[in-house]
Amino acid sequence: MSARARSFNEVLLSVEGISLSFGGVKALTDISFDIAKGEIRAIIGPNGAGKSSMLNCINGFYHPQQGAITYKGVRRSQMRPHEAAEQGIARTFQNIALFRGMSTLDNIMTGRNLRMKTGLFWQALRIGPAEREEIEHRRAVEEIIDFLEIQHVRKVPVGQLPYGLQKRVELGRALAAQPELLLLDEPMAGMNIEEKQDMCRFVLDVNDEFGTTICLIEHDMGVVMDISDRVVVLDYGRKIGDGVPDEIKRNQAVIDAYLGVGH
Amino acid sequence: MLYREAGQFKTSYGADQQIFPILQDRIFVLLVIVAAFLVVPAIASPYLYTEILIPFLILSLAAIGLNILVGYCGQVSLGTGGFMAVGAYAAYNLWLRAPEFNNLIVVFLFGGLMAAAVGILFGLPSLRIKGFYLAVATLASQFFLDWMFARVKWFTNYTPSGSVAVGKLEVFGVQIDQPVERYILILAIVVVATVVAKNLVRGHIGRSWMAIRDMDIAAEIIGFRPLRTKLSAFAVSSFFIGVAGAMWGFLRLGSWEPLAFDINRSFQILFMVIIGGLGSILGSFLGAAFIVLMPILLNQLPGWLGVKMSTALLSHLEFMVFGAMIVFFLIVEPHGLARLWSIAKEKLRLWPFPH
Repeated sequence: MSARARSFNEVLLSVEGISLSFGGVKALTDISFDIAKGEIRAIIGPNGAGKSSMLNCINGFYHPQQGAITYKGVRRSQMRPHEAAEQGIARTFQNIALFRGMSTLDNIMTGRNLRMKTGLFWQALRIGPAEREEIEHRRAVEEIIDFLEIQHVRKVPVGQLPYGLQKRVELGRALAAQPELLLLDEPMAGMNIEEKQDMCRFVLDVNDEFGTTICLIEHDMGVVMDISDRVVVLDYGRKIGDGVPDEIKRNQAVIDAYLGVGH
Repeated sequence: MLYREAGQFKTSYGADQQIFPILQDRIFVLLVIVAAFLVVPAIASPYLYTEILIPFLILSLAAIGLNILVGYCGQVSLGTGGFMAVGAYAAYNLWLRAPEFNNLIVVFLFGGLMAAAVGILFGLPSLRIKGFYLAVATLASQFFLDWMFARVKWFTNYTPSGSVAVGKLEVFGVQIDQPVERYILILAIVVVATVVAKNLVRGHIGRSWMAIRDMDIAAEIIGFRPLRTKLSAFAVSSFFIGVAGAMWGFLRLGSWEPLAFDINRSFQILFMVIIGGLGSILGSFLGAAFIVLMPILLNQLPGWLGVKMSTALLSHLEFMVFGAMIVFFLIVEPHGLARLWSIAKEKLRLWPFPH
C-alpha cells in the first residue's frame, strides 16, 4: 500500500513524445508523462532503460530529436543547462559530481551562484555589496547545512568525505539553488540501510517543508514504493507503466521487465 | 603550542570568512609586510634589490596571474611570456606616445588591461579544447606575440635593433629612479594585487573558476556559463600577468627586446606555479622564491663553503642540482610548497605535544 495518498492538480512539467537516439542507438522512444506540482515522482526501470537520459533531457543537457517539454506552461524543444538552472531546475548525479577540491561550504555556496550578482570590481575589493551578499548567502547555506546535519564537515574538502556524506553534500548543493523541481539521480545508490533511511527522510522533508517537486530515479523498490506519489517505469527506452505505486506493483508488464518472462 | 587557534571563537559569518581567520596568521603576515616596507630598505644593498627582491616580487605577481588561470580555473597556459610582452609593450607605447600619462600606475594599468583583452582573445578556444590541447593553443599565442613584437616595428617605435628603453619614470609626480624607490613601488603594487587576487578567489567568482576546474559538466548544470567563466579567468589572469610584464620592462630591465618575454619566461612562471602549489596564492610566492633564489644560492654556496671550482663547472652543477631539486620536491609533495607549509602548520597546532 502506498504510504502517501495525496492528490495533485497543477502540472509543473510535462514531457510529450520524447525520442532521443545516439547514432543508431535509441535511448528513448516516444516517452510522455507529467510531473505534478508538489509531488514526488519516481522513474524506475532496469539498467540501461533510459532513466538518466530522461533526466538529462529535462534539464537541457541532452537535446531530444523529437518531442517537447513543457515546464511551467512554457513549451520548449531546446534549452541550455544553465537556462534550466535559471528557471528553477536543480539536480544531483548518479556518480557524485561534486567539486572535489573545494570545501563542503564552498560546494553548497556554488548552488547559490546564480543569485550572486556583484561584479568583478566589488569582488576585488570585497567591501560593501560583495561582503553583504556573501554573508547573506552564507546564512542561507548554513540553514541547509543545519537541515542536512553536516555542520561537522563544513570546512572539509569534499574529496575527503565518505561516500554517504558526499551524496548529502550534493543534495545540499542542489537545494541551495532553492529549486522548484529537484531531479535526483539515484540518491541512495550504494548506501547502507541507515544512510538510506536518512536520505529518505531528507527527501520527504524537502518535499514537505519547502514544497519542492521531486523527480527521482531509484533502484530500491522498497524506497520507491514508500516515498513516491506516482511512478513511471521505463524499459529499453519505452514507457511500460505509469501510475501510483499500488498500480505499478500489479502491472504485469512491469513485473515481466523486472523478473523476466518465461518462454 | 605557539600556533593554536584554541579560544578564538567566531561570532559572525564576516569574522569566519576573513582572509586569515587565525590570529597568529594575521600577526605574522602583518609583521612580514611591515618588515618589507620598513626594515628591508634600511639594510638592503642595491644588489639585493635588483637581483633578488625586484625579480622575486614581479615574478610572484606573474605567478599569481598564471595560478588564477591554471590553478584555480584549470586552464593550462603556456602563453605567459607573450601576455607579459603585451603588458610591457602596451605600457611602453602609452608612456612613449602620451607623455601626459607619465604616471607609472596609469601606464601599468593600461598594460594590464591590454593584456587582459589579448588574453580574452586567446582564451576563446578554451571553450572547445581542454588540457594538453589548450596548452598547445596557448603556445601558439606565445609564438604569435613573440613574432608580432619582433616584426611589427610600430610597437618598438621603429628602433633599428628592436630594443626599447624607458627613462624619467614618475608616480604622481614623484621620480622613480633609485633601486629602493623601484622596490617600494613594486612592493606596494604586489601587495594590493595580492589582496585583490585573494578576494577574487574566495568570492563567488573564484568559486565559479574552481567549479569549472573540478567538474565542468556539473558546473554548467548548476548554472555557470562555461565560456563566460573561463574568459573571466583568462582576463583576470592576463591582467595580472600584463602588469607584471610592464613592471618587468620598466622597473627591472629599463631597456628590453622581445627576447625578454620568450617561451622560457612562460616555462619559468609555469614551474613557479607548479612547484609553489596550484590553486594557492601563497604558493605563487613560494614558487617564485624557489625559482628566483635557488639558482643564486646554488651559485654562491661553493664560495661560501670555501670550495674552489671553475665557473663553467659551477654553472653546470647549478643546473643539475636545481633540476634534481625540482624533481625531488614534486615527488615529495606533488601539491607544492604551499601544501608543505599547510602540513607544517597542522603539525604546529599540536607541537610539542604528541596528541
